[in-house]
Amino acid sequence: MTGIAFVAALVAFGVVTGAASGLLGVGGGTLMVPFLTLAAGMSQHSAEATSLLVVLPTAIVGSLVLRRRGVGDLGLALRFGALGAVGGILGALLALALPGHVLRIVFACFLLLVSVRLVRDSLVLR
Amino acid sequence: MRATAPTSEPPPARTRTVLGLEPRFVAIGVAGGILSGLLGVGGGIVMVPLLVIWAAYAQRDAHATSLGAIIPISCASVITYGAAGEVHAGPALALAAGSIAGARIGAGALSRIEERPLKIVFGLFLAAVAVLMLVRG
Repeated sequence: MTGIAFVAALVAFGVVTGAASGLLGVGGGTLMVPFLTLAAGMSQHSAEATSLLVVLPTAIVGSLVLRRRGVGDLGLALRFGALGAVGGILGALLALALPGHVLRIVFACFLLLVSVRLVRDSLVLR
Repeated sequence: MRATAPTSEPPPARTRTVLGLEPRFVAIGVAGGILSGLLGVGGGIVMVPLLVIWAAYAQRDAHATSLGAIIPISCASVITYGAAGEVHAGPALALAAGSIAGARIGAGALSRIEERPLKIVFGLFLAAVAVLMLVRG
């Protein structure tokens, strides 16, 4: 890809991840990291670091929009996240000591169960 | 917008709080952080299901709370990773330009979407993430 096409692809992909992030309340790293490693050829470490730098302004802008529209409670969310940040450090330290491979499979199964439940709930709703 | 409590409701029981958060939320916040750090996934993927299933949050509020919580979480991670000097600033700038515009669209949509399609969209997103995790091991 030429320089301009590459930048355009990055911006376009940013719009998609940003929209998913604002709608689903996720950071967007889940989409961005594979994109940066596969399409932009970054190493896993660089992709994660770069994606984090994108996640921060995205979450700030999305949260401000939600606050203006009266959705959720940003103050509570920030305090909640401060605890999450502490947990994140513990988790990262723990990851170095535990077999990540097995954990990922267990967690993927948990996500599948949650997704089944969400879709089932939505079918029961109304 | 927080609804005012009906006058008939008894005064809330005094419980120990951390940062003004009830024990259950403290547990979800810390557990969400640990899981995301442990598994290398974003906090939102962990926190939204926990808030909905364990704290009986409405789907929309869970997503909004999760997005706000990502601010301090990613701040902490940026500081940690920033020290390693692995950030590619150019691509980050281009992605951020797009994603800031996208975030306005997405957050606007979240404030309007019904509970039911939101559950379906998020359910499919989780299933896709799960498959991705299984494939990549």
